[in-house]
Formats: sequence, C-alpha cells, structure tokens
Amino acid sequence: MKNILSPRLGLIILTAGLLLYPLAFTGAFYRDIGVTFLLAAISASAWNIVGGYAGQVSVGHCMFFGLGAYAPLLFYNLWGWPPLAGVPAGVVLAVALAIVIGMPTFRLTGHYFSMATIAVAELIRIFTGTWTFVGAAIGLQGPATGRGWWDLTFRGELPYYYIFLAVLGVLLAVTAALERRRFGFYLRAIKASERAARSLGVPVRETKLQALALSAAFTAVAGSLYVVKTGFIDPDSGFGILVSVQMVIVAALGGAGTLFGPLIGALILIPLQTTTNSLFGGGGSGLTYILYGGIIVIIARFEPGGVLDLWHRAVPQRWRRAHAA
Amino acid sequence: MVMVQVIVGGLLLGAIYALFSSGLTLIWGMMNFINFAHGEFVMLGMYVALLAVTWLGGGPAVFGIAAAVALCALGVVIYFSLIRHVARGPMLAQILSTFGLALLLRYSAFYIFSANFVSLPQSSLSGTINLAGIYLPVAQLVAGAVAIFLTMSLHMLLTRTTIGSKLLAVAEDRTAAMLMGIRPDRMQALAWGLSAGAAGIAGALMATAYPWSPSVGETFGLIAFVVVALGGFGSVLGSLYAGLIIGLIQAVSAFWLGAIYKDIVVYGLFVALLWFRPQGLMGKA
Amino acid sequence: MLLEATGVSKAFGAFRAVAGADLLVEEGEIVGLIGPNGAGKSTFFNCLAGETAPTTGRIVFRGEDVTHAPPERHARAGIGRTFQVPTAFEDMTVLNNVMVGAFLRHPHRNDAREHARRIVELTGLRSDQNARSLGTPGRKRLEIARVLATDPKLLLLDESLAGLTPTEMQEAIALVRRIHAMGITIVIVEHIMEVIMTLTRRLLVFNQGRVIASGSPDEVVRDDAVIEAYLGRAHRRPREN
Repeated sequence: MKNILSPRLGLIILTAGLLLYPLAFTGAFYRDIGVTFLLAAISASAWNIVGGYAGQVSVGHCMFFGLGAYAPLLFYNLWGWPPLAGVPAGVVLAVALAIVIGMPTFRLTGHYFSMATIAVAELIRIFTGTWTFVGAAIGLQGPATGRGWWDLTFRGELPYYYIFLAVLGVLLAVTAALERRRFGFYLRAIKASERAARSLGVPVRETKLQALALSAAFTAVAGSLYVVKTGFIDPDSGFGILVSVQMVIVAALGGAGTLFGPLIGALILIPLQTTTNSLFGGGGSGLTYILYGGIIVIIARFEPGGVLDLWHRAVPQRWRRAHAA
Repeated sequence: MVMVQVIVGGLLLGAIYALFSSGLTLIWGMMNFINFAHGEFVMLGMYVALLAVTWLGGGPAVFGIAAAVALCALGVVIYFSLIRHVARGPMLAQILSTFGLALLLRYSAFYIFSANFVSLPQSSLSGTINLAGIYLPVAQLVAGAVAIFLTMSLHMLLTRTTIGSKLLAVAEDRTAAMLMGIRPDRMQALAWGLSAGAAGIAGALMATAYPWSPSVGETFGLIAFVVVALGGFGSVLGSLYAGLIIGLIQAVSAFWLGAIYKDIVVYGLFVALLWFRPQGLMGKA
Repeated sequence: MLLEATGVSKAFGAFRAVAGADLLVEEGEIVGLIGPNGAGKSTFFNCLAGETAPTTGRIVFRGEDVTHAPPERHARAGIGRTFQVPTAFEDMTVLNNVMVGAFLRHPHRNDAREHARRIVELTGLRSDQNARSLGTPGRKRLEIARVLATDPKLLLLDESLAGLTPTEMQEAIALVRRIHAMGITIVIVEHIMEVIMTLTRRLLVFNQGRVIASGSPDEVVRDDAVIEAYLGRAHRRPREN
C-alpha cells in the first residue's frame, strides 16, 4: 500500500509546494529565484522531449528559445502590438526551423543532428547580430510600462510566477500524456535502438521530427516567457550557447528522459547557480560555467541517467534490505 | 592583385584548418565519435605556445614541439579517463562528455588568461615578404606551408606505415583487429594523442601569425565540423582539400561581404552539405 | 506465393556478398537457410528484411514490391525479423518491449497492452521483468515475442536458437512450432543441424553468395556441392558405378 501512495503523495506535496512557495516566501529575492527556477524547468522539460526521451541530443536548442523571444518583441517594436500576440509566430517559426534541421539530419547518425544544432544556432546568433531589422547587436526592448494587462508588464514577481507555473503544468501534463501513449513508447524505442525500432514498424524519422517540432514549440514558448518577464532580448541572451547549455545540464542532471528529471535538475541547479554567482562575484559567470562544464562531464562519465537514476538504483536496495529484516 | 592576396591568404589559413580538422576526422573514422572539444584543443595549443615562449624562450620550433607534446598528452589522458568509458554507452553520454569538456576548457581558459586577445611576441618569423607582387606575412606563409606538410605526413603515416594500418584496422573492424593481436584500446588512445597533437601544433602555427583569445575555440570547433563534413568523415586527404577550400571561401566572403559574414557563409555551407551531400567530397556517409 | 525474391544480388564495392539468389516461399512453409560463415545468408536476410537494399533483383511480398522499401514498410506489410544479436530495449520492461511491437497494429494503449500480454504469456516470459536483467535465452525469446506482436505473416528468424542449452533449445523449437501453428510462415537461418532437420521441410544452401542447393533436408545433406562447401572436396562420397 505504502508504495502505491508514495509517488502520488510526492506529487501532491510537490504541487502544493510549488503553488504555495511565493506566498510563503514573499521577498523579491526569493520570488525571483522561483521565477528563474520555473523558467529553467520549462526550458529543460521542453528539451527533454527530444533530447531525453528520444535520445536526439540537441546542443543548440537556444535557436528555438531565441525565436520565441524575438518574435513577441518584434511584433511590439514594428507594429506596437502586445508582445503576447507574437508568441504564436515564435512557435510557428521554431517548428519550421525544427523541420528544416530535422529532415536532412534524422536520416543520418545521431552525431550529425547534434553538430547541426550547434552550427545552426551559431549561424542564427551571428546573423541576428548583423541584422538591423531585429536590432542587430543591440537587441530589442519590450514595453517599459504596460498599456493594459495584456502587455504583461507586472510590477511584482507574483503574476509571472503563476503564469510560468501554469505553463510548466501544461508542458508536464502533455509530456505525461505522450509518455503513456504510442508516441512515448516509440520515442523510447528509438532512443534504445533505432534499428530494432525500425524492424518493428516504428516510423523513426517521422517520430523524431514530431518530437523535435513539439520540443521546439515549447522551447519557443519558454523564450517568450523569458522576454515577457525581462522585457529585453539580444543575440547573446536569445541565441547564446549558454542558453542551450543550461537546458541540457538541468535536464541531464535531474534525469533526462524522465518526467520530473528536469524539475529536479532545476531545483538543484538554480539555487546552486545563484549561490556561485554571488560567491564568485565579478568573475562569477566564468567560474559558474567552469562548474557547469565539470558537472556535465561528471554526469556523462559516471551518471548519465542523472539524479533520478541514481535514486532509483539506490532505493530498491534500501527497500529490499528494510523489508528483508 | 588584391584578390590574389586574399586568395593566397585564405589558402594559407585553410591549410591550418586542414591540419586540425584531420585530427577530428581521424577520431570520427576510428570510433564514430565526434569531439566537441576539438576547437578547444587548438585554442590550448595557442596558449601553450604562448607559455612556452614566455617561460622557455626559443623560436617556433620550441613552442611548436611544446604544443604538440602537451596536447598529445592531454589527448591520451582524456581518452583513458573519459572517452573510453562513454564511447560504448548511450548517445547522451557520448555527446555530453566532450561538450562538457569544451565548456570546462573554454571557461577555464577565460578564467586563467582573461578574454583579451593576445599574440606571440616578435620572432624570426616577423615581417612580410614580397612574392611576385603580393605581400604576405612571413609567419602566415611558414605556418601554412608547415601545416600542409604535417597534414600530408599524417596521411602518409596512416596509409604507408605499420602503425597506420593498425589504426585503420581498428577503425575498420574492431573485433577483427583484436583477433589479429592489435590492441584497440591502445590504438584509440594513440589516435586521440595524434588528434589532439595535430590540433595543438595547428594552434601553435596559428599563434605565430594571428592573434587569439579563448573564444576562438568555439569557432575552430565549428570550422572543423564543416571541413570534416565537406572532406568526408574519416578522410585525412579529404580534410586537406576541404580545409583549403573552406579557408578560401572564408577569405573571399570576408572580402566581398564583410568580416562579420565570413562565418555565416561557412556555417551555411555546413547546413547545405548536410542537406545535399552529407558524405562530403571524399568520404563515406 | 507469399514471398518471391528473384535474382537478388548485393555488392559492397567490388565484393559480391550475394550473387543472384532466388527464394520463393509459399504460405505456411518453414524454410531454412544454411551455409558456411560468410556465405551471404545474413546479407540476403537483410535484403529480405529491408535493412539493405539489393543491388539487383526483386523482392515481392503478397503482391507488393518491397525491393527498395525501408524496414518500417516491410514490418507494416507483414514481414517480421529477429536479429542475430538480440537487441532488447534495455531500460524497458518485457511487457513494454513487446508493446512497442504491438502498437503497429493496435494504436491504442489498452489494446496494445492486452495483445502484448497474450504474446508474453505465449512465449513464457514475465511481463514486469526488466529487459536488462534477462539472460541470453530470455533475450532471444523477447526478440521473438516483440516481433510476434507486430502480427507478421512471414517471420525471418536470424539464428534465434544459437547459444542455447539443449533444454532451452527444445523449448525454443516448441515455440517456433507453436508460432507456425498460428499460421505464420517462417524462414529460418541457422547453423545448428538439429534445428534445421527437425523444423524445416525445405532448405536452401548458400555458399559464396550463391544458392548451391535446395530441396528437402534429407536431399540437401546428401548433395555433393553441399558436402564440398562444408567439408571440402575430399569428403565427397565416391560415385556409385
């Protein structure tokens, strides 16, 4: 009985915790971390669909993030529309880009896809830095003060927190639903062995494309959320490699290919990042990324399944020992 | 006339691209593995050269050898401590391993050396030379020539020597090679040493002629991808041709479109290759 | 005629792995493919399964030309295959492994699960066991269970009975018979003579990319060309006067 209740109970506690967090911690600092955490969890969960479940490791996912970030501000700067109106455009662009990248590379081995993602992301980043239409190196700004609620320029963190939380909820619900269906099984089969999957009739290329498109769409939404909150975007914050790195490390640390892995990864990494940034002061960002690099290498070498995998391997033994006595 | 200068300059730089890219293609051919930190190996070669000049003095030969030895050792160490374990595992671990390594090396370099661009102090290679009406920095000329020589040497090593055929045997069929008494582990470690060494020397060569900072690793890594994709994964000779071509394209793009666009053209070429001819000029897909 | 493979050749550069092989299989047969190592059986098999495209020749299955079709299409058409080295989906349970196959004809999860459960029972495996913890015989059985779940009309078994103890082999032979009784046509590549002799009614012998003999098992083992291929010229039986 206890085993059946535990995951359910855990989920309830988690949801309650997330919902109540900003009400319990009312300081701007804590709420800001909360929002950063949610954004990291959303991006990583989006990456997780194609990188974790399907095993197609994208190291240039920032390209989708950046598209989702630039589109809303572009709509605002060109036509004065509320940034929200640009969100669907960002999603459409991201999906289109996903298809353009996926179609040629998914018929080759996995390395080609990974290389392509990093090359295309860099290409877009450099190009955006030269294109005055989108602000070149300076970037774009959003509305300083809102003209109405639809501009989503809130003074405090609270509204952002709950909007982000809602999006995370939707993303996780969608992922959970897909995990249970044929699509989810096919993704995992592809990750385990494409050759075997093909022989069983799995449409490998189409499935990968669908996963990438879905992942791209949600990543674009994450980019839009980011820009709605910060009100600013430039080539580095949108298309920089560090954006991609954070998605990957958060998902891999917690457990790529699991539903809650990215969430757990964010739970560990965001407070860690905030601490190191303040500890190391000015050179903070440099040292933080040395740390990230080191963590990624350690995960790859010792624990590719992340924290969750480590937990699942440790727990059954403890359970068995406890119940054998 | 200016055009000829641009072309020659591009080819000379392309020769260096060819040298370090041949290291990447060797690893791919050997073990179907992509080293995302290869650009950082080149970058480290440049800094080793700088340190060698500062601490040891001496000319290009000294720091060239220093870079080669240091990076060769690094390559072997990385193989035994990291690559060997992830090479037969899940794709995520494989890709993350060198990707994380790249970050580690890059930001460590930023931390230790700062983000400022540096260059080697004046040496015997300074100055320009007038070759049939075009002016070329001596350093660039020497660097390019040495790079071509070394790339060809690597090709010869692989195709004409015993150790080379052992390397190729492991690349072809690991199990069969084992049955013939070849130790795949040792061969792969050797390949990593050669690969990193090539990158290191290329870096040292480049340092004689061009300024750099830790940020160049990322760019070189991507250029290596493009060269290897164009030349064919696994083909050192292909890397030679492709490297020269890419250097040329880059120089001409910079000249016609502006310096900012030269990388865009090269990366765009990469994407086009993936779409239309992933096996490149001379390799198997 | 369920399967018509005619004039199939496969060349890798200058090396011809398969040189003009024919295979005609009627519905309900159990056909064996034997031959020394490197004779081209596996390559031919891969052509039948769609993993390799033949250089020349035609492969027609139930009237559909699948010569250059990818493995996915072969599976959908009703051709299933196992792999010489079992490739289980390591991180999934036995049931989930089989469900991947079941999803081909049963897109909805509950149907797929029911179908998979039945197949798992048929093959004597345990649903909730992790694939990773299976030994070789279990993995081979999982290979078969998984492809069975795709409801194939033709099953290509690639040395699925190698490396088993005598007891395990008897169980495996019984399983293959059960599968055949379900109405599935079987083509089996095997080295183990006992399996071939007891299971198959018709045999093809490969050597150096060519079919050098075909017929009933009894006929084939007496065939001079076959004996020569396996044992060398010296062992040919002396001619009766």
